[in-house]
Amino acid sequence: MTGIDVLDGTLLAKEEGGLSTFFFEAQALPEEFHLALREGESREIVLVDFSPRSYRTRLSFTLSRRSHLVLSFAALAHPGTEKRIAVDVHHEGVDSFSRVSFVGIDFSDRPFSFVGNSFIPKGMSGSDTRQEGRITNLMPSCRSEVSPALFIEENDVKASHGAALGAYDPDQIYYLMAHGLSERESKALITSGLLLPIVERLSDPKAVERAKKILEELHL
Amino acid sequence: MEQLQIQGLCCKAEDKEILRGVSLTVNKGDVVALLGPNGHGKSTLLNCLMGSPHYQVTAGQALYDGEDLLALPTDARSRKGLFLAFQNPPDVPGVVTMDFYRGMLNARREKPISLLDFYRKTTEAYQQVGLDSEMASRHLNEGYSGGEKKRNEVLQMLLLKPELAMLDEIDSGLDVDALSLVASAIDAARRQGTTFLIISHYDRLLELVRPNRTAVMVQGRIALEGDETLARRIAKEGYSFLERELGIDLRREEVPSSIGVCGAKITAK
Repeated sequence: MTGIDVLDGTLLAKEEGGLSTFFFEAQALPEEFHLALREGESREIVLVDFSPRSYRTRLSFTLSRRSHLVLSFAALAHPGTEKRIAVDVHHEGVDSFSRVSFVGIDFSDRPFSFVGNSFIPKGMSGSDTRQEGRITNLMPSCRSEVSPALFIEENDVKASHGAALGAYDPDQIYYLMAHGLSERESKALITSGLLLPIVERLSDPKAVERAKKILEELHL
Repeated sequence: MEQLQIQGLCCKAEDKEILRGVSLTVNKGDVVALLGPNGHGKSTLLNCLMGSPHYQVTAGQALYDGEDLLALPTDARSRKGLFLAFQNPPDVPGVVTMDFYRGMLNARREKPISLLDFYRKTTEAYQQVGLDSEMASRHLNEGYSGGEKKRNEVLQMLLLKPELAMLDEIDSGLDVDALSLVASAIDAARRQGTTFLIISHYDRLLELVRPNRTAVMVQGRIALEGDETLARRIAKEGYSFLERELGIDLRREEVPSSIGVCGAKITAK
């Protein structure tokens, strides 16, 4: 399932594990998405959303014993769009593992949010989770929000979260400009640097090229 | 021939005055050792000349080849031939070093550099500083050791071939072998006509590079200038003779501060 604007939990659940990648160029993400990982199943999901659509989505994952989820999510909030993204990971089996990493670039003056929640109930020992989100604001009027949260009831777990929100780091911009790159080129390089590691994980080469072209055409 | 003329340069950061009238002339081909005790404005001077957003120039001027340097944005200063080897280069996660190098080289060219030429130049530069060229595929400065960062700064200088290179403590964190490599790279650039303004706290680099001029910064001003013998004397005796023999006050001016509410340190008004 590659390079298409469809994210369907029922279809995805029928796939054997491994890598599943999705590129959203035109359509909004679905309002609800759920995937349950079977015992011992490993799944890596890459989501790239460059669509100019407003949406509100909740992606939820249920992890069984010794299952393994890695979700990488890159998103652009184009001018005038509102995107509210929630990712819930429920560790319902012992020794389950999850990593959620969200990177967003905000051009919009409307809300753009990432809320990542990991839930580890009592008894789910050996679970390991990390939620991290980073949004770079390109305008002072951006209204972005990043909130990775952990809800842990078990003691024997590993859990961490990280959030970064803000404009470009002025030290990074200065460093690049001090080597001759213009401010625009510096910002473009940093923006691409944030998103490309996720974009290049898309398994459809055409989707990768299309996504790169969109990035090149952005007016930073 | 005068390449850089600094006249009465004053600057501040967050309302704190740091440079208080720096005047210094650097001629083409000079290698100037910029010395002085810690915290007296040496790094600030180099960053002001490069256009750091952290500093605000409040008075004075800096002419580069007769042109008002301070009127130019940072990238234009670089493209005019200025180079700053950063004391603490920032990590730039996500930006692949190779892409950055290509960007900085292309910023100086009408046509993008060919793949072959880029490969040849970078491989040669990596060899000169004793680093593995595989590092070009890593993210810029991320995970580099202190010594690797310093060598990487010198490598950038070799790629850019600047007219005026300002090196801010390029020797800190380098072992003896790395220091020799860096000194050789500086020497090679010098032979090709690069002018240098070098901050260092260690005499080993200056012994290897042999500056022809020395300028000593104290309390945000150039307090003393001399030839290479001045640098050698400072290496041998430290700075105390400036106070003893020349009456130069070496004390850093401390901004009074108080512990305010909630234990936060605030500057007293």
